[in-house]
Amino acid sequence: MDSSIAQKTWELENNIVSMETPPTNSTADTSASDAIFFYDEGAQTKFQQEKPWVNDPHYFKRVKISALALLKMVVHARSGGTIEVMGLMQGKTDGDAIIVMDAFALPVEGTETRVNAQADAYEYMVDYSQTNKQAGRLENAVGWYHSHPGYGCWLSGIDVSTQMLNQQFQEPFLAVVIDPTRTVSAGKVEIGAFRTYPEGYKPPDEPISEYQTIPLNKIEDFGVHCKQYYSLDITYFKSSLDCHLLDLLWNKYWVNTLSSSPLLGNGDYVAGQISDLAEKLEQAENQLSHSRYGPLIAPPPRRKEEDSQLAKITRDSAKITVEQVHGLMSQVIKDILFNSVRQSTKTHAGPSDPEPMIES
Amino acid sequence: MASSSSSGLTFKLHPLVIVNISDHYTRVKSQMNHSSSATTTNDDNNNGAQPRVYGCVIGIQRGRTVEIFNSFELLYDPSTHSLDRAFLEKKQELYKKVFPHFYILGWYSTGSDAQESDMHIHKALMDINESPVYVLLNPSINPAQKDLPVTIFESERISVDHVAHLKPSDGGSAATQCQYPLPSVVVFFNFSDMNFALTCLAAHLTGIHSAIKMLNSRIRVLHHYLVAMQKGEIPCENSLLRQVSSLLRRLPAIESEKFQDDFLMEYNDTLLIAYLAMFTNCARYNILSFLPDFVSF
Repeated sequence: MDSSIAQKTWELENNIVSMETPPTNSTADTSASDAIFFYDEGAQTKFQQEKPWVNDPHYFKRVKISALALLKMVVHARSGGTIEVMGLMQGKTDGDAIIVMDAFALPVEGTETRVNAQADAYEYMVDYSQTNKQAGRLENAVGWYHSHPGYGCWLSGIDVSTQMLNQQFQEPFLAVVIDPTRTVSAGKVEIGAFRTYPEGYKPPDEPISEYQTIPLNKIEDFGVHCKQYYSLDITYFKSSLDCHLLDLLWNKYWVNTLSSSPLLGNGDYVAGQISDLAEKLEQAENQLSHSRYGPLIAPPPRRKEEDSQLAKITRDSAKITVEQVHGLMSQVIKDILFNSVRQSTKTHAGPSDPEPMIES
Repeated sequence: MASSSSSGLTFKLHPLVIVNISDHYTRVKSQMNHSSSATTTNDDNNNGAQPRVYGCVIGIQRGRTVEIFNSFELLYDPSTHSLDRAFLEKKQELYKKVFPHFYILGWYSTGSDAQESDMHIHKALMDINESPVYVLLNPSINPAQKDLPVTIFESERISVDHVAHLKPSDGGSAATQCQYPLPSVVVFFNFSDMNFALTCLAAHLTGIHSAIKMLNSRIRVLHHYLVAMQKGEIPCENSLLRQVSSLLRRLPAIESEKFQDDFLMEYNDTLLIAYLAMFTNCARYNILSFLPDFVSF
């Protein structure tokens, strides 16, 4: 069935691992694999006391996020529109992995201007955690997330200082950043999980991170702080019931593929990207014209920087184009499907036909 | 069984609610199983017990459309057979702070069928919302199932004797109308890999292809049904005929000059962007011809 092929492809692309063994009839198996949902209080407190992360700043290497937490975070980030939103994540640890089971939104907006945004939300957090524990969600807060609408997943200066503070007093704690605008335009979740290094620590080697384009007005902030944290690998998991329900949802989803219009929705974002690209091009041009007249004087490293700058610009423009073209393809296909019908049987309707219902 | 909601309401259920309920159920079940398997000595036949979980659904009602966006858990008091009221109000307050536009639309539970005791809870909620909805999720995993195991019940008020009955609205299409332009669903089901243009093109087109195939198969089913009706094999169902006829009259979807203009403008914009990208690409490699030979790129 095509939906299963489509689903498998997506699962592969997005690294989803479902916490279930191959389908068997025994119910004991499903309960064993859904075991990740069980909260072992004893093991967690023991881990808290041992604190293995104190000696190794690079201790936590992986993050596992549940389907529910991911969904909630993305929906919340998207609902903020162009405003940054933030929230907390709840979960537990498992060796060198941090497991995020759930997330909830905090009534705070615009973290970029206030370092102490969390102080305002403390009461909310306490109330929410209390009610959650009563309702059977026993996990503790294990991190915070916020959104960077349109400018990529990385930690800004304020984010880095907030996270450093968190890692001093609330360990183990994780920082997650989501970009809802790029998620929609790229069709894949733009998400990053980070932990900061303690003050003065120099990482032993350069981490290789996936390239992402950063707008000019933020690139300085990014560059200054990008060495102060490292990113963790993210995998996702879902329960057996989630699997089953999501499978069924696929059967409905095909409607969305045909009805969505990514070009219309993301118009501002694309325009912003192109103008940003134009500015970067101007900058690159200025630097290039300098070296053009003084190739003998300009030191070699500077030239390398410029050409890689041009390479970056080319890559960015290619990415924007690809997304636009895909959007256009969808529009053209929709046009052919739904607009090129010819009313050939206009006179066919007999006199006994009732009046068509007005679609509300 | 009525084929559509009798009150004429359309329900839109956000997939987040479904995943929420599923997560709530899985959590409670795993806590229960873990503690029970530690105490019992015989094999796990406790896994057959399906705990019932309860919670509240929130969303917006606009006219005849009820959109259920989110949900949260509630405490069930088995002694009074009702939901903990103070807890509900506390939670509602918290959710109001973050989602000020949503209000309580009803409640949810898990199980295979609505029970009489549910009426009690339903009535209790009537003072918050005069016609609450009851969302029932069937957590048993049935691989043969094609449709979402979610049913939405709404109560019907008979004004004479103020007796409210639970009437299920269409368990199939109306209640599970998950046609939500969800970014997260887009995330789940759209493919795009920016590294390789060809693979991402292929992936994108495959997605559209599967969607069109589904559409085609559904239309075939309808067509087959209508032909059978024409031949007389199946009794004529006028409401269905009306729906099909109104659907057909909606095509072509948009056919105005303004649309054509806008469409072509969008088309041209995309071509321009592609052109610009092509230029940038060429410029990058052409720079070589302008600079002296010993400059290496």
